Amino acid sequence: MAYDVVSVDGLRFLLPELVLVSGILALFIITNIGDAKIRLPLTRLRIPALLGGNRFKWNSDPRLPGVISVFTFIFAIVMLIQTLGGDTCNNLVEKFCTDTTILTTTGNSPVDLLKLDSFSRLFELMFFLALLLVSAASINRLQADSNPSNDDLDQLLDNRRQVDFHLLLLISGLGMTIVAMSMNLFVLFVGLELASLPIYVMVAFHKESKAGSEAGVKYFITGAISSAIGLYGMSLLYLWSGSLQLSVLEASWAAMSTPETLPLFGISLLLVGFGFKISAVPFHFVAPDAYAGASSPVAALLATASKTLGFIGLIRILMIVTLPAESGETAVWMLAFGILSIITMTWGNLAALGSENPKRMLAYSSVAHAGYMMAALVAVAAWKSGNFEDNGIMAAELIIGAVIFHLFVLISFKIGAFMVLSHLETENEVTDMSSLHGLAKREPIIATSMFVFMLALAGVPPLAGFMSKFLMVTGIVQAASADVLTNSNVDLIPTIIGMHWTFFLAIAIFINSAISLYYYLRIGVLMFFEEAKTRLPLPKVSVLRFVILLCALGTIFFGVNSDWLVESAIEASSTLF
Amino acid sequence: MAENKLNDGMYVIGGLFIAIAGLMFLSPISLMENDWVTLPLIGLPILGSLLLMGFSSAVPAWKKESISEIIKYASLGISLIVLIITSLMMTDILMNVHWATISFNQYVYEVEYNWIESIGAEWHVGIDGLSMPMVWLTALLVPITIITTWNEKKPWYYHPLLVLMGGCLIGVFVALDFFMFYVFWELTLVPMFFLILNWGGKERKYAAQKFFIYTFSASILMLLGIITLYLLQDPSAANSSFTGRTFDMHEMIKTAQEEVIRGNIWLGAGTQKLLFVLFMVGFLVKLPVVPFHTWLPDAHVQAPTGGSMLLAGVMLKMGGYGMFRIPISMFPHAVVEFQMILMIIGMISLFYGAWVCLGQTNLKRMVAYSSVSHMGIILLGIASLQPLGFAGAIFMMFAHGIISPMLFGVAGAFKHHYHTLEIGSMRGMAKHSPWLAGNMMFSWMASLGLPLLAGFVAEVAVLVALWFEFGWWVIIPGITLAITAAYYLWSMQRTIFEGGEQTQPPESLGDEEPKDIYLTEKIGLMSLAILIVIFGIFPFIFFEMMSGYSSELIESILWDEIRGRWG
Repeated sequence: MAYDVVSVDGLRFLLPELVLVSGILALFIITNIGDAKIRLPLTRLRIPALLGGNRFKWNSDPRLPGVISVFTFIFAIVMLIQTLGGDTCNNLVEKFCTDTTILTTTGNSPVDLLKLDSFSRLFELMFFLALLLVSAASINRLQADSNPSNDDLDQLLDNRRQVDFHLLLLISGLGMTIVAMSMNLFVLFVGLELASLPIYVMVAFHKESKAGSEAGVKYFITGAISSAIGLYGMSLLYLWSGSLQLSVLEASWAAMSTPETLPLFGISLLLVGFGFKISAVPFHFVAPDAYAGASSPVAALLATASKTLGFIGLIRILMIVTLPAESGETAVWMLAFGILSIITMTWGNLAALGSENPKRMLAYSSVAHAGYMMAALVAVAAWKSGNFEDNGIMAAELIIGAVIFHLFVLISFKIGAFMVLSHLETENEVTDMSSLHGLAKREPIIATSMFVFMLALAGVPPLAGFMSKFLMVTGIVQAASADVLTNSNVDLIPTIIGMHWTFFLAIAIFINSAISLYYYLRIGVLMFFEEAKTRLPLPKVSVLRFVILLCALGTIFFGVNSDWLVESAIEASSTLF
Repeated sequence: MAENKLNDGMYVIGGLFIAIAGLMFLSPISLMENDWVTLPLIGLPILGSLLLMGFSSAVPAWKKESISEIIKYASLGISLIVLIITSLMMTDILMNVHWATISFNQYVYEVEYNWIESIGAEWHVGIDGLSMPMVWLTALLVPITIITTWNEKKPWYYHPLLVLMGGCLIGVFVALDFFMFYVFWELTLVPMFFLILNWGGKERKYAAQKFFIYTFSASILMLLGIITLYLLQDPSAANSSFTGRTFDMHEMIKTAQEEVIRGNIWLGAGTQKLLFVLFMVGFLVKLPVVPFHTWLPDAHVQAPTGGSMLLAGVMLKMGGYGMFRIPISMFPHAVVEFQMILMIIGMISLFYGAWVCLGQTNLKRMVAYSSVSHMGIILLGIASLQPLGFAGAIFMMFAHGIISPMLFGVAGAFKHHYHTLEIGSMRGMAKHSPWLAGNMMFSWMASLGLPLLAGFVAEVAVLVALWFEFGWWVIIPGITLAITAAYYLWSMQRTIFEGGEQTQPPESLGDEEPKDIYLTEKIGLMSLAILIVIFGIFPFIFFEMMSGYSSELIESILWDEIRGRWG
C-alpha cells in the first residue's frame, strides 16, 4: 500500500518516530520548567510562566533526562510493535514481520520516500534497543565534576549536561530510523547526517579530557569528509540516471549493457561514505581513536548502531542497485570487495592482538567483524552469478539474514562488553588492560558476563556470536560450493581448486576467528588470573549492572534459542529480493 | 590437617560405589521405556554446577570456606546421581538389549526435539554400542576425580567445574545432531580452560591459552566440514526447516549406507576426501597424534590433577569417538583411500610418543607422552580396517580412559606429597609412602600393558588386527611396547625402589616428613585400580558390544570399498 507521507494514514505508520519527536520536545520542556512568573501587563498580578526561572528540585535531578529518554525509547518500541502485523503476517511470536507500506511525497506524481517493511522495521527495533541500552547506561554518567558534591548547582549542571546528551541520543535515533526506511538516496543522506552529527558531538562529550576532544575532532573531520565524498557519489549517480530513487537507479543499472564509468565511479564514492561508517579498511584509521576517546556507552553506540547504519546503506546500494538481477553476470564490485573484506578482517584482528587499551581492542575487533560481514555480502554476489536457488530459500536471503542477525546480536554482546568497561570507568579511566586485572575476584558476575561477551565475539558456541558466524559461513559456503561439490568425482586437489573463490572467504573467516580467539581469551585470562590492585568491589551502579546482566542473558538466549531471530532476519532479508 | 577433616562421609561414598557396581548387575529396573533419561545426564550437571557456582560467587570471600563442604558434597551428589542413572542404563543395555540392535546406526534412548527449527538443528540424542562405554566412563570418572582431588584449593568453583565438564562431555557422546555435537564439543573447552587457568602449575596461563586456541582452531575446520556436509544434502527432502536441510547424523549415515548398497560413492570421491580431511584434522588434533600433539604435554603438565584426569581420561577420547561416529561411518571411500596415511601417522605417534618418554624427567610430561603413544594405538586400530582392530581401538579408548586418570592421579598425589615431579629426584618411595608407591606401580604396569589388566586386551586386539592387515609392519608397535615397558620400569627403578645413595626424600620436601596419600586419594585411585582389574579379566563386558559394533560398521559401510580395493 502507498500513502501520502503527511496524511493521517501515512503518519499512522510513523508512530514510533512521532514518539521520538515528542520525547525530544518533552526533554526540552520538562527540564526547563521553573518558577518564573510573568506580571500581567498593567496589573500587579504575577502568574507562573512555567518556563525559565529557578528549576525545581525534581527536575534538576541529573537522572531525569536519562529517565525521560529511556521511557521514550521503551514507548517507541511499544509503538513499533503496535504498528506491526497485517494481512500477510499475523503471528509475531513466530517471527518479526509486517506488511509492506510505502510512503510517498504529496502531489500528482508521488515519489517513494520511505518504505516500511519487515526489513526496515527490524532495523528500527535494533536501533531502539541499542539506544535504549545506551541511554539506560548513561543515566548516572557524565558528571561535569569528577568529584561531585551534592549541592544544587552541581546537580543542575549535571542535569544540563545530561539533557544535552540524551537530546543528542534521541535525535540520532530519529535519523537512524529514517535511514532504515529510506527508499531514496536523498532521504538516506538526510537521515544519515541526522544520525551522524549528534554522534560526532557525543564522541567529543568528554571535552575535559584530551583524548575526548581529540577523538571528537578527528572523528568529525573524517566523518564529514567521507560524507562529502558520499554526497559527491550521489550527485554523480543523479547526473547519470536523473533520479535518486533506488528503484529508478536499479532499473537504469539493469538496463546498462556494459559497465559505464560514471555510475561505477559514483557507486565507489558512495561506498567510501558507508565504508567509513562500518569502519572498513582503509577507512578505519579513526575508529580506534574515536572509540578510545569517547565514553564507553558512546563507543558502544559507534560499534553497533552506527555500524548498522553503514550496513543498511551497503545492503541497499549493493544488493538492490548494483546486482544484476537475472543476467548471469558477475557483480563488478565483487572481487575488489572480497579482497577488501579479507584485508579488513585480518588487519582488525592483527591490530587487536597488539592493543593494550581494551577500548581500542574492541574497536579493532569491530573492524574485524565488519570484515566478516563484508565477506558475506560478497558471497551474495557470488550467488547471483551462480544463480541457483533451492526449496524456496535462496543463499542470498540466508546470507543477508545472517548479516542482519549478526548486527542484531551485536547489540547484546558488543554493548555488553562496552558496558563492563563503562562500569570500570565509574572507578577509574580505562586506558590499559590493567583495569581488568583480577575483576573476577572483585566482581565475579560481571567478570563472567564479560567472559561470555568475549566468547560470543570470538564465536564460541552456543552463544549468539557463534550462530551469526555460523549462518554467514553457511551462506558463503552454499553460494560458493554448491555446483562444485554435488557432482565431483575427481580427486581431492581438483575439488578444492574447482571451488568458487568465495569459498576461501569462509576459510579466511575461520582463520581469523582462530587468531581473534587469542585476544578475546586474553581478557578472560586477565580477569580470572591476574591479581587486582584492590579487592574492593566496584561502585554500585545498579542500572549499569542490570544492563550488563541483560546483555549477558541476551547473548546466551539468542545463541541457545535463536529460532525466532533467525526467522525474523531471513524474513527481513527476503523482502529485499 | 586435611586428614583430620575426613569423615565418615567418605566411607559412605566408598560404599556407594560398591553399591552402584552391584546395581549394575542386579538391577531389576528397566529404563528402556524412558527415552528421556539422557536429558538429565546433560542437564543436571550443567544446570546444577552453574547454580552451585552462582551460589558460591554470591557468598562473600571471607565466608567461602564455610560453604566449601556443602559445595563439595553437592557436586559429588550430582555426579553420583548421573553415575547411578548411567549405570542403570548400562545394566539395562547389558542385560536386555541385543548387540545387533545398538550397533551401526541403531540407537536406544533416542530422542528428537526441534531446537532451532529454521536451520534444522535438533536436540537429537541416542546411545549405541560406541557411545555407551564412553558415557559410562565419563559418568564414572567425574565422581572419582572429585574424590581423588577432594582437597583442592578453592573447592567452591573447582568441584562444580568438574561436574560441568562431565555434563558437556556426556553431551558430546550422546549427540546425534551435528549442530548439537559441535556445540558440546566446543563447550567442553570452557571448563577445562578455567581448570588449567586457575588451579594449574606455574606456566598455567600459557598452557590454558595454548590448549584453548589449538583445539578451537582445529575444530573450526571440523565446523567447515559440518557446514559443507549440511549444504550437500538434498534440500527437496521434506522437512520443516527453512533451508530444507537438517544436521541429523542418523539420516546422513543412513544415506551414506544406502549409497553404498547401490554401489555408488556418496557425494563423490573428491568431496568425500575433502570432508574426510576437514573432519579428521579436528579429531586428530584432539586425539592427539604427532605432529599435532604439542598442546597436550603443556596442558597436562600445567593442569591440576583433576583436570588432567578428565583431560586424559575422556577429552582425548572425544577425538577417537568422533572418528568412529563421523568420518568412518560416512566416508568409506575416503577411509580406505587414506588407510596408509592413517597407519603411518599412527605408527609415528606410537613410536615417537614412546621414544620421547624415555628422555623425560618430569613425571606428568612422561605420562602425557605415553598418552600420545597410546592414542597412536587407537589410530592404528582404525587404520587396520579390521573388526578386531576397530574393537581394539574402541576398547583402548575405554581402557586408557580408566588407566590414564590413575596415572595422573598418582602423579598428582606425588606432586602433592613430595612437591616435585622430577622422576630421578628420590629413590625408595616404597619405604616412605607404600600406598602411593603401590598405586604408582600398579598404574604403570597397567599402562605398559600387563596381561590381565585392561590395557593388554586392547593392545593385543590391535596388534593382531595389524598383523592381518599389514603383516610384518607389526614389528614397529611390538618394539614400541618394549620401549614403553623400558621407560616405565626404568622410572620405577629410579623412584619407587631403594638403591644407591639417593634414598633420602627429595630436597623439595624441606623439613617435612614424607607422608602417604590421603584416604580420599586412596578411594579414588583404588576404585580405578579395581576397574582396571575387572576389565582386564572380564573384557567381554564391553568387548562384545564393541566388536558387535565394529563388525557391523565394517560390514554395512566399509566392506564394499575394502573388497573393491583388493579386486
